Amino acid sequence: MRTVISRIGAMFRRRRLDAELDEELRAHLEMAAEENQRRGMPADEAWKAALRDFGGVTQVRESMREREGLLWFENLRRDAGYALRQMRKSPGFALVVVLTLALGIGATTAVFTLVYSTLVRALPYPEAERIVALHDVRTQGQSTGGLMSVPRFFDVQARNRSFESLGFFFFDQSTMIAGNRLPMSVQAAGTNADLWDVLGVKPLLGRGYDARDDEPKAPETAVLSYSGWQKIFGGDPGVIERPIRLDGRPVTIVGVMPADADMPTGIDLWHDAQFAAQGWNSYRGEGTRFINVFGRLRAGVTGETAQADLDRIGEQLRREHRQSDGMWGFTSQTLREDRYGAMRPALLALMVASALLLLIACINVANLMLSRASARQREVALRRALGASGQRITMQFLTESAVLGLVGGGIGVAAAFALVRGVAAKLPGRLGVPGTVEMNWPVVLVALLIALATGIAFGIAPVLESRRVELNTAMKQGEARLGGAGHTVRGALVSVQVGLSLILVIGASLLAESLWHLVKNPLGFAPEHVLTFSLRLPWDTKDPAIRSFFSDVQQRIEALPGVQAAGQMDALPTVDWHLRSNFDADWLPRIANKPAINAEDRNIGGNLLGAMETPLLAGRALTVQDSLEKNIPVLVNQELVREYLAGGNPLGRHLLVGGKPHEIVGVIANLRGTAGAIANPPGPEVYWPADGNGGVVGRYFVVRSHGDPAQLVRAIREQVHAVDPQQAIGNVATMDELLNKAVAQPRLNMAVVASFAGIALLLACVGIYGVVAFFVAQRTQEIGVRMALGATRREIALLFVRRAVIPAAVGLAAGVVASLGLTQLLRSQLYGVRPNDPAVFALSVAALLVTVAIATLRPALAAASVNPVEALRE
Amino acid sequence: MGDDRPDILRPSAGEAGGQMLQGTLDLMVLKTLEAMGPQHGYGIARRIEQISEQALRLNQGTIYPALQRLRQRGWIRAEWGASENGRKARYYSLTKAGKAQIETETESWERVAATMARFLKTAGS
Repeated sequence: MRTVISRIGAMFRRRRLDAELDEELRAHLEMAAEENQRRGMPADEAWKAALRDFGGVTQVRESMREREGLLWFENLRRDAGYALRQMRKSPGFALVVVLTLALGIGATTAVFTLVYSTLVRALPYPEAERIVALHDVRTQGQSTGGLMSVPRFFDVQARNRSFESLGFFFFDQSTMIAGNRLPMSVQAAGTNADLWDVLGVKPLLGRGYDARDDEPKAPETAVLSYSGWQKIFGGDPGVIERPIRLDGRPVTIVGVMPADADMPTGIDLWHDAQFAAQGWNSYRGEGTRFINVFGRLRAGVTGETAQADLDRIGEQLRREHRQSDGMWGFTSQTLREDRYGAMRPALLALMVASALLLLIACINVANLMLSRASARQREVALRRALGASGQRITMQFLTESAVLGLVGGGIGVAAAFALVRGVAAKLPGRLGVPGTVEMNWPVVLVALLIALATGIAFGIAPVLESRRVELNTAMKQGEARLGGAGHTVRGALVSVQVGLSLILVIGASLLAESLWHLVKNPLGFAPEHVLTFSLRLPWDTKDPAIRSFFSDVQQRIEALPGVQAAGQMDALPTVDWHLRSNFDADWLPRIANKPAINAEDRNIGGNLLGAMETPLLAGRALTVQDSLEKNIPVLVNQELVREYLAGGNPLGRHLLVGGKPHEIVGVIANLRGTAGAIANPPGPEVYWPADGNGGVVGRYFVVRSHGDPAQLVRAIREQVHAVDPQQAIGNVATMDELLNKAVAQPRLNMAVVASFAGIALLLACVGIYGVVAFFVAQRTQEIGVRMALGATRREIALLFVRRAVIPAAVGLAAGVVASLGLTQLLRSQLYGVRPNDPAVFALSVAALLVTVAIATLRPALAAASVNPVEALRE
Repeated sequence: MGDDRPDILRPSAGEAGGQMLQGTLDLMVLKTLEAMGPQHGYGIARRIEQISEQALRLNQGTIYPALQRLRQRGWIRAEWGASENGRKARYYSLTKAGKAQIETETESWERVAATMARFLKTAGS
């Protein structure tokens, strides 16, 4: 081993070797010259003669330098060839080793691809580390997902010293009419022109809109996203300068952005919102936050400096607008953090899980190599007798395992590549955005390095074993046998393997139970047989037109055959949408500038409770008549009552907004997922009639059907077209689909960790079986002797069971301890189950015990059924 | 032994100087070290010249690639020490594997020599 290292070192320590070589050659020449002088030659003659006798000094030196490096490769090449011949000779062994490693490396590579793509790789914008997400957050209590109000955006823009440019966007479900085509619903975003500077993207075609387009009275402009351009216009380069109608307004398409520009993700087009600093001053209050804000830091400005700057502005605004801004401040985070920060704990957990799996695979392979090494002791002894040095044999074993590692790793990487290619687009949320998750060279390189390191690591056990070979004894057939140390090593491997598997099984069980809670806990609605879609009227539609349009559509849908109930809501559960308001209440003390209640607002219409099957717990549902009242009545959810009126009867009491009383006429069950993730606990909510207060222009319909809800889409499309040929339905999805999407990330985590745990159990099973079977095979004679001396079959079987059970028990104990620490990583991923849930731990230990039992019993029983006469005769 | 013959014992071609048979110089060096004990490169070269009674006028320089080769195979080891007249020199000595190698190579050389002798006697006439 020492010379191996020195040879590797030689490649880097050329200089020193050269110096040594030069010194050696110089010493030679001096000695030769001295001797010549002693024979009577004059000094310079003696030197010349010495040089002549030596031959070409330069040639000798060059050839030696070359050899110093070459030998290493030469040996490596030979050992690799030898390793491949060995693999061909015992294909079964090679296959098991290679497959086991391929599983371990493949799993690790696939997970690492996720991590690399999100947390490591540069984002697709120039100097993306200078892009910062600005969030508007309440200093206490729930915020609205970081959304900012327009006046506050302009305040930050005017007062900051840290940002080169500030951009915003807001989601804008729009109805587009292009040329003489039918209207279609498009995913749009309203932005300012500076957003392009923040991102630093250049248009693929045409131009991005600029400061002139930002002017409120300028002709309206839009820019297509790459996917929108392909999907809607088939990639026609003639779209530039083409006029379209967006929610009834004339808009000109001025450019197409490259596929990389995905801010926000998954939209068809951006249009210039034409907001101006003036004219928004009355929109400071609660419920006016709807824009996402991003900034590009000035060169040299750090995130901390920018945050301090934002803190200063936040403080100023709290003082200047005590009533509206008094409880709000700004936070900031990098673009990467904003996009992927929430996934970090999940990704970390997956990374740990895959590393554990890789370790288990390595241990299995180490076990296999160990068994094989003892079978090859005679070969080793023979080689050493023939003069091979211990180092050469070490090198040979290591090369062999490195070759196995690389072949297994290569297959694993190829499999991971295929897997990533296959599922990348189906990954949940941001991960599924095309181009996000890709395997590239850095990942492949790291994976192959891991494979190589793995190969060398598991090759070390057999090397240590081979060092123990004593020439004389091993040469004699039948004497080649492992000493006690080999048993200890194997026992330790069993312990580690069982321990690691236990961690994976516990992790998978926790995630599975969490997912079960997530899906099975009452949602507050029944998702089966429900179709949802959106309709969006232009902003400036008059109130009566809004009312008549939605009530017309409502009636026509209710009249369709197969429809059980239909209702409307401005934002569906599982959709990340926020609209919050402050309330006073007639049963709570009123304090100036300190509203009693902060709650999410939702606007509903039609028979929403019937369509969702949301239980009405007290009072009555809202009616069409309610929206016409001067003081509109409202519904509240159970949580609002629990939090602010515990034990009291809310019916007949009033919520106060701007001094106006709104009677609470009913209480409904909590709807999970109204504020985004269904894992979030529902907060207080207030439900308003959507037709009140002028009418909401953008609504989702919720249609409960008797049969397959997807069958209704066509009929609904026709009905909407009949009501208004300028409108089109969008965002068509069943409620089941929405829910599936909402639990996709936790389900993916669970599935990955569960499959890792399954593979781990299988590998542990194979590994333990291998170890016990090996003990039995090694000790057949001993069994015979013991039986001859009166040991019962039971005692013999127990002898071997103990061999596996004791290390397994040690492993389980260590695994439980390690799990108590590691499952804390999962804390943020769990819903309705604690990370150290004793039931989960107990069941997981039981699962491992069953595995150990299965793996041990067969070889142990085989030992017990040995025929003592035959065993002794061998 | 067949295929099991270790690779490390297979001759590798094109290493030593062209005019000498492969392995000749290696065996000479090993034998010299066996006879004289630890010795530096110059001493080994002189000794080989003396033993071969000047019949073999090798370029003394060729001894060094041979020494390097033997060292890399683990048959000899090298250490820095002081020469007779106090000069710093690199001393080479035999390893255990080197001693075993002498036996193997001597045997094979004797076989080759005997074969050659027989061949020259019978085929030459």
